Amino acid sequence: MKKYILFIISLATLSLPSLAQQYQGMSGMIHVPTAEMDQEGEVRLGGHYLHQSMLPDVGFLYLDEKYNTFDYYASITPYRWVELSYICTERIIPRGEGHYFTKDRHVSAKFQLMQERQYIPALALGMDDVATTAFNPDRENQQLYFTNIYLAASKHHQFSCGELGGHLAYRRYFRSYNAKWNGLIGGLTFRPSFFPQARVILEYSGNEIAIGIDARLFKYFLIQASLMDFKYPSVGLCFVKNLL
Amino acid sequence: MRMWLMLAVVGAIVLPSQGAKAQEQKMKLDLFSGLSLNLRDINYERQYDVLINLTPGFRWKMGNHFELCGQAIVPLVNQYNYQSAKVRPRILALSKEMKVGPLCAKISGGFFSFDRYGVDLKAFLPVCDWFAFEGRFGCTGYYSLVDGWDMSPMGRLTGFVGGNIYIKRWKTQLRGLVGRFVYEDYGLECEGMRHFRHSTVGVYGSWNNYDKFNAGFRITAMLPPFKRRDRFLTIRPASCFNLSYAVEYHDYTNKLYTTDPEANIREGAFSRDILEWGFQAEKPDFEIVK
Repeated sequence: MKKYILFIISLATLSLPSLAQQYQGMSGMIHVPTAEMDQEGEVRLGGHYLHQSMLPDVGFLYLDEKYNTFDYYASITPYRWVELSYICTERIIPRGEGHYFTKDRHVSAKFQLMQERQYIPALALGMDDVATTAFNPDRENQQLYFTNIYLAASKHHQFSCGELGGHLAYRRYFRSYNAKWNGLIGGLTFRPSFFPQARVILEYSGNEIAIGIDARLFKYFLIQASLMDFKYPSVGLCFVKNLL
Repeated sequence: MRMWLMLAVVGAIVLPSQGAKAQEQKMKLDLFSGLSLNLRDINYERQYDVLINLTPGFRWKMGNHFELCGQAIVPLVNQYNYQSAKVRPRILALSKEMKVGPLCAKISGGFFSFDRYGVDLKAFLPVCDWFAFEGRFGCTGYYSLVDGWDMSPMGRLTGFVGGNIYIKRWKTQLRGLVGRFVYEDYGLECEGMRHFRHSTVGVYGSWNNYDKFNAGFRITAMLPPFKRRDRFLTIRPASCFNLSYAVEYHDYTNKLYTTDPEANIREGAFSRDILEWGFQAEKPDFEIVK
């Protein structure tokens, strides 16, 4: 039994640092993007349970009430300076004795403009859901539920007890039903030195404050749990592998 | 045109390969099998329509760069349509690779994917370390074994011409092509591929005169075991896993048949002892051990 416990602990210790805006398969915090990047060659395959507070005010309604849902994604960092992700968000609505299944699909991309240096923060430009196959500018409610563009800066400081990260971003959503998340957003991350695979997150997303924790376990798995507004839970798990 | 194509086929078969390495001359027979997973999202009453097929196949390298390969489709789970429920052949093709100066060519004849039969010519011309032309021409007809034997005359001409750029530093390949496709549509496609140790990820965009724009991604992951024994008969799993995704469900445009049961975006159409260009010149996925 001891052998198995030691094996599990050693696997966990081998793990690499975690960096995740995990519900989209991208690096970041919870609902706030950062200028951090995954390692070159890293892919993520995973899913996330989404509380309704993380969803736009239209598109995910049943009888005029927002509902909780989940998404799944595949993402890759083909080069050090770019991350790409493809996300499917489920829209499952009760209908008769069964359900009505549709999905919102979108693509996210993030480009690191500048790497972090001793006194200079990392800088990244990112965008979510900027292309649609059924674009109609006259109908605001039609698709592009997650469309936004952002500029983010990140800087990390090493202390004896761990690493503190400060993150600031300016985000602009294109649709009025997401306008509550517009403007200056940011947060703090702390990675304790006794368990550097984990990270504690405190963020302000423009409308609510969220707290969360994520950890990279057994080398290949990344888990994140969070509370939006300190009360609404979201949780996700993804498989991470470096292809290089 | 068809006569010229047939002449090219006959010429290719009698033409000896130049510069090809001796190791390819050995006879080899590979028996393999994989699974194909297809998901289709056009039904509101369930998450996806699922089609899972077992895809057993063989590859017989006959020497002198002749190759006979075949593959069958054995449906395991089918939520698509009744045609997909039938056990049927997918590919049975005889191919011959050759190298004439810098030009690499591959002639194939037989039954191909997309229910096509006929002849197919692929050509690849490296210009320098980072740029190469490629082309493909085919003359095919339709056949089907789903409801008895059904076929049309071998009269449809398809093909494309294109260029490839390989950036060795980033193991990145850019590919552009314009051509006429299986369902008599015309289109163009641009693709960027990033090669990793045992996998390749590509992003593409396409335009077609019927369905206009489409885009998506393709992933090829090579499957272990990566060491293979140097013997006549090898029984192994399929060498790769292919995944492709398109934003729009355009099932009848920008489609071309394949002549190889294990065709993928990573390995290209030619074997490494015929073509050493771009990613083909990098370390191979599969190592032959004595």
